[in-house]
Amino acid sequence: MGLDYYQIKKNIRRARKLVIWGTNAAGSGHPGGSFSMAEILGCLFGRHLKFNPKDPQWEKRDRLVLSKGHAAPGLFSNMAVAGYFPESQIQTLRKFGSKLQGHPDLKCPGVEFCGGSLGTGLSYSVGIALGAKINSEDHHVYTIIGDGESNEGQVWEAAMTASKYRVDNLTAFLDRNFIQQDSYTEKVMPLDEILDGDDLSEMWKDASRWKTGDKWRSFGWNVIEIDGHRVEQIDDAITRANATKGVPTIIISRTIKGKSIEHMEDNPQWHGKAPDSDIVPIINLELDSQFMIAPSIIAGDMTNLENEVKRCVSGRADYVHLDVMDGMFVSTKTFDHTKIKQLRTLCILPFDTHLMINEPVKHVRDYVDAGSDIITVHAEVTDESSFGEIHDLLRQNQVSVGLAINPDTELPDWSWQFLPSLDQLIVMSVVPGKSGQRYLEETHAKMARLNQVLCENNFSGYIEADGGINLENIESVFADGARVFVGGGAIVGQDDIRSAIRDFRTVALKSRRQALLDRAHQLGGTDLINKWINLHIIGKKQEQLKQIAQEAGYL
Amino acid sequence: MTDMRSEYSKTLIQLGHDNSDIVVLGADTTDSLKTAAFGKEFPDRFFNVGIAEANLVTISAGLAASGKISFASTYAIFLPGRAVDQIRNNVAYPSPPGKKGLDVKLVTSHGGLSVGPDGGSHQQLEDIAIMRVIPNFRVFIPADTVSVSKLTQLMAREYGPFYMRMARSKTTLVHSDSQEFQTGRGITLRDGSDCTIAACGITVRMALDAAESLQQAGVSCRVLDMFSIKPIDDQILAKAAKETGCIVTAEEHNVMGGMGSAVTESVSESCPVPVRRVGVHDMFGESARDDEIHLLLEKHGITSFNIANQVRDVRSKL
Repeated sequence: MGLDYYQIKKNIRRARKLVIWGTNAAGSGHPGGSFSMAEILGCLFGRHLKFNPKDPQWEKRDRLVLSKGHAAPGLFSNMAVAGYFPESQIQTLRKFGSKLQGHPDLKCPGVEFCGGSLGTGLSYSVGIALGAKINSEDHHVYTIIGDGESNEGQVWEAAMTASKYRVDNLTAFLDRNFIQQDSYTEKVMPLDEILDGDDLSEMWKDASRWKTGDKWRSFGWNVIEIDGHRVEQIDDAITRANATKGVPTIIISRTIKGKSIEHMEDNPQWHGKAPDSDIVPIINLELDSQFMIAPSIIAGDMTNLENEVKRCVSGRADYVHLDVMDGMFVSTKTFDHTKIKQLRTLCILPFDTHLMINEPVKHVRDYVDAGSDIITVHAEVTDESSFGEIHDLLRQNQVSVGLAINPDTELPDWSWQFLPSLDQLIVMSVVPGKSGQRYLEETHAKMARLNQVLCENNFSGYIEADGGINLENIESVFADGARVFVGGGAIVGQDDIRSAIRDFRTVALKSRRQALLDRAHQLGGTDLINKWINLHIIGKKQEQLKQIAQEAGYL
Repeated sequence: MTDMRSEYSKTLIQLGHDNSDIVVLGADTTDSLKTAAFGKEFPDRFFNVGIAEANLVTISAGLAASGKISFASTYAIFLPGRAVDQIRNNVAYPSPPGKKGLDVKLVTSHGGLSVGPDGGSHQQLEDIAIMRVIPNFRVFIPADTVSVSKLTQLMAREYGPFYMRMARSKTTLVHSDSQEFQTGRGITLRDGSDCTIAACGITVRMALDAAESLQQAGVSCRVLDMFSIKPIDDQILAKAAKETGCIVTAEEHNVMGGMGSAVTESVSESCPVPVRRVGVHDMFGESARDDEIHLLLEKHGITSFNIANQVRDVRSKL
């Protein structure tokens, strides 16, 4: 089974947009804390929670308790995406007569806990879990607590109780976003090592200061610490938590308040504030413009691919891009599914398998079984029937579905019907077969043609740029619509892979900022540009944005 | 003289045998409250959460959300005051479809001044006021062990949040075993036509004694056990006001917001008559050895003698 990576990513993106829609319509609410837990909820709803939106009271359902109840827009948005109610109902958030109250409420079927008064959700969850144990029911309780609310003594009362009664049918998440209403958590009431001085901006990057896990361990809990915005880490942590018997588990998830929207990220102002209407379209574009970096390991040492995978992990890549070549579809031969199966044991990063092989329909199951999370096949060697078969097989196995075309191939007409549910499209910008080729400039014109087809056919997936991508051309490729960047020589071929990936991200970020400034200018001219730039009060973002705007002639 | 806590514990165990959904929770006072006996009988349905009242209340709510009937008990001083947020937001407020609040019964002991030696810090004189204003909660103060047993059974039977406060000291029986108890229905213990004494908890015995002494002086008093303070029995009070013309209330609680207030609010809307409230007048308590508790009660006028005096006084001003 795959990770269902793109489906989860798409749901998370959708839910974030609903949070923006709802809080903007309400004129208030808490987007910051909704965004810091967006991946956690997306992964729970997409992969782990047992629930039935048509029967919210189904007895065997898992229970999700949102203890940090002010993040209600995040919960409601995920419930809408999961089908509990139509997405348009998010407009009624916080309004008179709505079941979508300011804080989670049983008035909304499917909500398990009336949150709002902080620090109580874990005790409530312990009660539910104890009840399930008495009844010998095997449903699971998932609880999300905030780091701000961990100031409340009751959290620790509950922690002791869960440990005493060996409540192992409970998994808690700590949404460790380092910000509470007044300020940074370490200013208001430190959970980690006390910080002397004011240099808060860097402190949560310093792992040696993190003591929160020790606190929970000393209370007798199984502690798993992860990056709370990485779907694969969340998924893996939940799987491990559920397999742990005899003690409760807490997944301490380091997150960023306001994650995905630069002006909200790490900004205490966005704890409880709604976005203005004129900023909403820019926010939505920003959500559509999140990007991923996928190093292609065949650009490295082919005799030691294990090491290349490890370099991807230490370099903080988003995926591992695996180019499978059979020596027939392309003249070169790389490796097949047996190698992927060996590599799979080395890490949990999503495997982005690009099959450059003949008759993929005959072999695709092997690549599913080997542990691929995304599988892309070529249009040149598939047709409506075989691609349909591949599509269904991948969906059944929660593997994301990709389609690739070579430089001299147009997107075939038969493929259009699959575009609405296609997760990934690769428009090759080199002739496939070997690493180290130059980007073909005519790809830009091809992308312009293709984007119209994609738009007309409701494509909602991700475009992966593959072939000759480097720091010089990311900007133009980003402008073409690509959001996943495969890096061969430019990443894997570099000695310092971590710094190469960081450089890729920096350029991609600049491209995104450019696109957002273009949109702001188009929607509201210099006034909107200034307003939007001025929202970026944390770090050096404001100066950097001003510089890009000046270069573009907007200021 | 019988002991309310023993009766509560005995009744819980009986209920526990009849209904496997009943769970009992305590906060390091399970020996004193005698609920530990339930734990011996049903170890899987008994939880001692330690000295953590907020946690006690919220875990009880979580168990109720899992379909259990939670009885959570500790001293009166530590529950309504200390955990009012959890009582409000975790028990009373969450209302599953078609229901009001969660199925949690908060049963406390050591209410009022009669706690004695532990002193003012431990004498709960505000719990009725606190619990009365929380929607979906019903509030009981039993007068004797018969009441404790019957009301415990009633709470197990009727869905939703209840608060019941017992006294620490032993009490004499005022009810017969055959007495029926209904939520929101006061009990007429003695009929009379000149004045009504409305009492709850240990003051019911005092009210009966006062009525007896007044009878000898030719004043006929009606005595009501207003064990159900919320909902209050508007009918029995309106009838009493109409037929006896005045009311004296007596309680081991601040006269502000307590049973006397509830009675006053009720008759002021149905049949306004003079009401005199016996109780603690906006003060805290203080220590008194067990054999001095009567002195402490006397200081605050919570005696049959003062109740009788108030009856005479209120009648003299009619």
